[in-house]
Amino acid sequence: MASKYDLTPRIAPNLDRHLVFPLLEFLQERGLYPEEDILKAKIELLNHTNMVDYAMDIHKSLYHSDDVPQDMIDRRAEVVGRLKALEDGAAPLIGFLQNPNAVQELRADKQYNLQMLNDRYQIGPEQIDALYDYAKFQFECGNYSGAADYLYQYRALCTNSDKSLSALWGKLAAEVLMQNWDIALEELNRLKEIIDSKNFSSPLNQVQSRIWLMHWSLFIFFNHDNGRTQIIDLFNQDKYLNAIQTNAPHLLRYLATAFIVNKRRRPQFKEFIKVIQQEQYSHEDPITEFLACIYVNYDFDGAQKKMKECEEVILNDPFLGKRIEEGNFTTVPLRDEFLENARLFIFETYCRIHQRINMGVLADKLNLNYEEAERWIVNLIRTSKLEAKIDSNLGTIIMEPSYTNVYEQLIDHTKALSTRTYKIVHQLLENAPGQTAR
Amino acid sequence: MASRFWTQGDSDTEEEESDYDEQEDDAPVETATATAASRYYSGNASDSDDSDGQKRVVRRVKDKRFDELSATVDQMKNAMKINDWVSLQESFEKINKQLGKVMRVTESDKPPNLYIKALVMLEDFLNQALANKEAKKKMSSSNAKALNSMKQKLKKNNKLYEDMINQCREKPELFEEKVEEEQESEDDVTDDNVTDDDVSDDLDAEETDDEEETGNDAEAGSGWEKMLSKKDKMMDKQFKDPSQITWDTVNKKFKEIVAARGKKGTGRMELVEQLTFLTRVAKTPAQKLEIFFSVVSAQFDVNPSLSGHMPINVWKQCVQNMLAILDVLTQYPNIVVDDMVEPDENETQKGADFNGTIRIWGNLVAFLEKVDVEYFKSLQVIDPHTREYVERLKDEPMFLVLAQNVQEYLEKVGDHKGASKVALKRVELVYYKPQEVYDAMRKLAEQDNGESESGEEKVVNEIRGPTAFVATPELVPRKPTFPENSRALMDILVSLIYKYGDERTKARAMLCDIYHHAIFDEFSTSRDLLLMSHLQDNVQHMDISTQILFNRAMSQLGLCSFRASLVPEAHGCLSELYSAGRVKELLAQGVSQSRYHEKTPEQERLERRRQMPYHMHINLELLESVHLICAMLLEVPNMAANVHDAKRKVISKNFRRLLEMSERQTFTGPPENVRDHVMAATRALRQGDFDKAFAVIKSLDVWKLLRNKDSVLEMLKAKIKEEALRTYLFTYSLAYDSLSLDHLSKMFDLSDAQTRSIVSKMMINEELHASWDQPTGCIVFRDVEHTRLQALAFHLTEKLSVLAETNERAIEARFGGGGLEGLPLRRKDGQDYAGAAASGGGGGGWWQEFSFNQNRQGSSGGRGGYTISGRASAPGLVSSGYSRDGQARSGGYGSGRAYHTGSGARGGQSDGSTRMVNLNRGVRT
Repeated sequence: MASKYDLTPRIAPNLDRHLVFPLLEFLQERGLYPEEDILKAKIELLNHTNMVDYAMDIHKSLYHSDDVPQDMIDRRAEVVGRLKALEDGAAPLIGFLQNPNAVQELRADKQYNLQMLNDRYQIGPEQIDALYDYAKFQFECGNYSGAADYLYQYRALCTNSDKSLSALWGKLAAEVLMQNWDIALEELNRLKEIIDSKNFSSPLNQVQSRIWLMHWSLFIFFNHDNGRTQIIDLFNQDKYLNAIQTNAPHLLRYLATAFIVNKRRRPQFKEFIKVIQQEQYSHEDPITEFLACIYVNYDFDGAQKKMKECEEVILNDPFLGKRIEEGNFTTVPLRDEFLENARLFIFETYCRIHQRINMGVLADKLNLNYEEAERWIVNLIRTSKLEAKIDSNLGTIIMEPSYTNVYEQLIDHTKALSTRTYKIVHQLLENAPGQTAR
Repeated sequence: MASRFWTQGDSDTEEEESDYDEQEDDAPVETATATAASRYYSGNASDSDDSDGQKRVVRRVKDKRFDELSATVDQMKNAMKINDWVSLQESFEKINKQLGKVMRVTESDKPPNLYIKALVMLEDFLNQALANKEAKKKMSSSNAKALNSMKQKLKKNNKLYEDMINQCREKPELFEEKVEEEQESEDDVTDDNVTDDDVSDDLDAEETDDEEETGNDAEAGSGWEKMLSKKDKMMDKQFKDPSQITWDTVNKKFKEIVAARGKKGTGRMELVEQLTFLTRVAKTPAQKLEIFFSVVSAQFDVNPSLSGHMPINVWKQCVQNMLAILDVLTQYPNIVVDDMVEPDENETQKGADFNGTIRIWGNLVAFLEKVDVEYFKSLQVIDPHTREYVERLKDEPMFLVLAQNVQEYLEKVGDHKGASKVALKRVELVYYKPQEVYDAMRKLAEQDNGESESGEEKVVNEIRGPTAFVATPELVPRKPTFPENSRALMDILVSLIYKYGDERTKARAMLCDIYHHAIFDEFSTSRDLLLMSHLQDNVQHMDISTQILFNRAMSQLGLCSFRASLVPEAHGCLSELYSAGRVKELLAQGVSQSRYHEKTPEQERLERRRQMPYHMHINLELLESVHLICAMLLEVPNMAANVHDAKRKVISKNFRRLLEMSERQTFTGPPENVRDHVMAATRALRQGDFDKAFAVIKSLDVWKLLRNKDSVLEMLKAKIKEEALRTYLFTYSLAYDSLSLDHLSKMFDLSDAQTRSIVSKMMINEELHASWDQPTGCIVFRDVEHTRLQALAFHLTEKLSVLAETNERAIEARFGGGGLEGLPLRRKDGQDYAGAAASGGGGGGWWQEFSFNQNRQGSSGGRGGYTISGRASAPGLVSSGYSRDGQARSGGYGSGRAYHTGSGARGGQSDGSTRMVNLNRGVRT
């Protein structure tokens, strides 16, 4: 059952080969799939990269033998050869860049730099392109930090916008793989700007790029401290939401989770519910279904059942189920947060339409036992998040009616009117100085 | 009438009889003209063929008149011979007078053929005379004057009989004897006259024919088929010896025939036959191809009018010819068909062994489209309730084969644009077919081929029998290949079109795709397609047939969403269609008469040309019932919710109007049509009597048209129960302090969970001022009625804020940018107001829900441009093609609607935020 909601097959096509590794690692750890399958998948993955050594290791552990197929050995030789060739090609420029004195001479003006390189060091466009190829090759070999550095320098020199864009993608991937979340976030924003800029090739391309970007960003957002707010900011933009709805509805899971965990984004949340309602048909996911249960169908029993499923899903999701080791036992911080908030969601809605609730039932609904539920509610009442009283004799909670006084409403209505009028007058005077001066 | 006459005229006895009559009457009979004439009138009196003697008197009078007429014609001929226009003019006036008499006697409204032929003859002679300038100069002044006045008179006169004259020219067979006579006389003219008439080869050929004919008079005049066979014989004679035929002779003859095309007196069918014969003797493949192209276009010419269709057998031949063209093209890939450049004169001389490219003029796509149009037209014209229609429908696989082959060829050649056009034609034949129909077509195509394989070969042999110089094997498959599933076929074709097609092709393919998804119950896919393509935004600018297709797709989408139990969506799709009451016109399924708007004949003709063939119709009754049921489900609780100001919010104007009408009736009889049924159901539903409402709806007989009838009815029942519960709560909640859940569930035959969900939803949306008492399972109603003073105070504040807003807007309009500052403030204010209204009076609460609803749809619209723009644009689309004022009106309407939804969205947004701060409000107070 757990593998039913596994999104890896849907996410993987939108990622770089190298970025799939962490996902596979996670799956291996969770043991959702047979170990062998995962190892095979890994080899398959590596076949098209240059990480031949790693592939060999996996091959050994998969077949429990020290023999390595000949083609892998051949490939290794080839890779090494090619690496040499590329290194030679890029050598002049790398030499230049490694010389701190020479780098000092570079200025902010790209044209000047190119001119200068050409005149004084005989480094032309070919060498610069060679740097790009070399960086790419480094990345393929799994040397991410080297690749990231070279790509950074390449971007400073290159004039070709297409290549510059791919360099940016490469840099992002490298930073993600090195887990430098802050830098990765910067790169992400840079990339986003380019994608959103108007002169992007075709609309189709643009949508595809957005989808890639969102997939890649999952790594960052669920690891960065501030990520949960930012994921909402990014995904919930109309353009990106559009892309999700058209081509990648599975991403709604992450957005939904972010919304549930994040208390501050309430206004957008309402909009999001509508999106979920619309997309119900195209994607089945416990987390979005959970929201649908509470906010669309008002089916609290269903929501409660979904909550259990959600827990399972979170634990098995490579992005959501991140663990933190604390002493002897590991925790999944997101799960705890999610459950707490989900409970609050259910309770909140439930309270709004009830005036008297049996504690036992409530405890049941919240997946808590009686004592815990009582404590939880007392806490809520104490922090005045909830206006209610507990009738411990009957074991019920009695809601205080929450509608406002008529007079208060009237006052509310009219309160703003005077300020608005003042504002109008002010505007009037401001905009027509000539007339008032007279 | 004429044809009947001629078949009779064939019999020998008849002829004798007429001869006998002539003698009796002692009329001045001279030449064969008389025979023709008498034949003619005897035909007219055909009723009394056998019983000569009894009706003799009547016939006498007629005969006399006819003889007078024919005598005048003879006089005219004589006058022509000597080029005497003065006497010709006199005769002309005389013949007109006589015509009146003849027509009175025969009591027919058609002038006799004799007269028409005389007119034709006169016209020809006149043209001839006018063309001959020298002779004109030589004429005497009186003669010239007479000629000019004749010209004008004839012109005026001929206008009256234009149709007949054209008929006479097109089908001289019907006037056969006459034609021969005419030619003879014409020949005489050329002999006698000073003018040097160059007689065309064609005429010569016909003359030889005539000679032959005189030889075997008994057979003569049996109709055009005979004639043509003779013509063929003649051609055979000309090409008797295969060894003598060279490319040049064929080319010469071909040019000759083509030159004769469109000229007077050239039978269209003859032309086709002659050309077909030439295809058999063509020397090179290129030449053969060239001639084939001419054959096909000559075949298109057979039917000259726009409204009629090509004869079906000609159509079939045409398809066969097209296939033959493709055969040649596949056999000789070095031949290129092109309509951009004019190829060399002798391009076709290059033989089969020529290696370079040979260019031939022609346009396969245009031909194919024409074939399709003719097929479509024939289905439009044929009465759908006859066997003929069914037979005609069976020809569809034939066309599909052709289209498939053309498309394959074009793809091979690399003309993807053309291929996409052809693909569209195929899509348009498939998109409206549900899987069952598609399967039937597939089966038919397979069967058909099994049967006709042998038969076809025979026919082919027959045709190609004599001398086929360039033998082309049947390379192109004659059997259509269909994928298992119509969806698969659609996918292949549509993706090709999306890749290569031009704007219109793409739009049409997209609409077909939407339609097809909709009939396959894939609502979400088809909705997404519609949203993503943004078709509803610009469909007003497309041609009318595309607009009709759009309307069809929209209504099918509506039906689909109804089946998927999405009532609001279905209503959204269909309501525009019914808003103007011109559904038939909008779907091109029949002409609707409007009392207020007279159509010009021109408009009517255009409209008739747009009609959908019967087998493609969407059942209007089903459409109407779905629309009305949706409106009922939405409108009944809505009306219950705001009894006090019903005008405030109307979901379906159309439905409201109908309801008012039915309420005005003093007596309500048992329901007869769809409308009555729904109205009866509405009455029951308003009382909360869901059983009766459902029974009435169920008794509609349109349901049998649905494939999954049971599940749809099941869904409908659930919906009706739900709405009945809502209506009940709206109407009677004031009378209760509390209601138990059990009671409600029992009352409306719903499960506890369902009832709870429905009621909860109403509570959350503040439609119902109540809350649950969980331990006892009761709904406890809160009394939130305002006192009169309070209500008035609310009104006052409401007005005040409107005033303030108007002021602000006025300032904004005056100073533009100043508004920016005020905007967030105002929004905040609106929020407070909305909050107050939410917990305020009953009406206010519902209004809130309305805006919320609007917004929900609106947001989907914002994203995809769906509901809003769909609604706003649909009326525009709908009337744009039809009347100018309609467009202006709908334009205004659309924009008004857009504005409305805009404000709705704003309200919804603010309302959302109020609701969300609910828990925190406790802190504040």
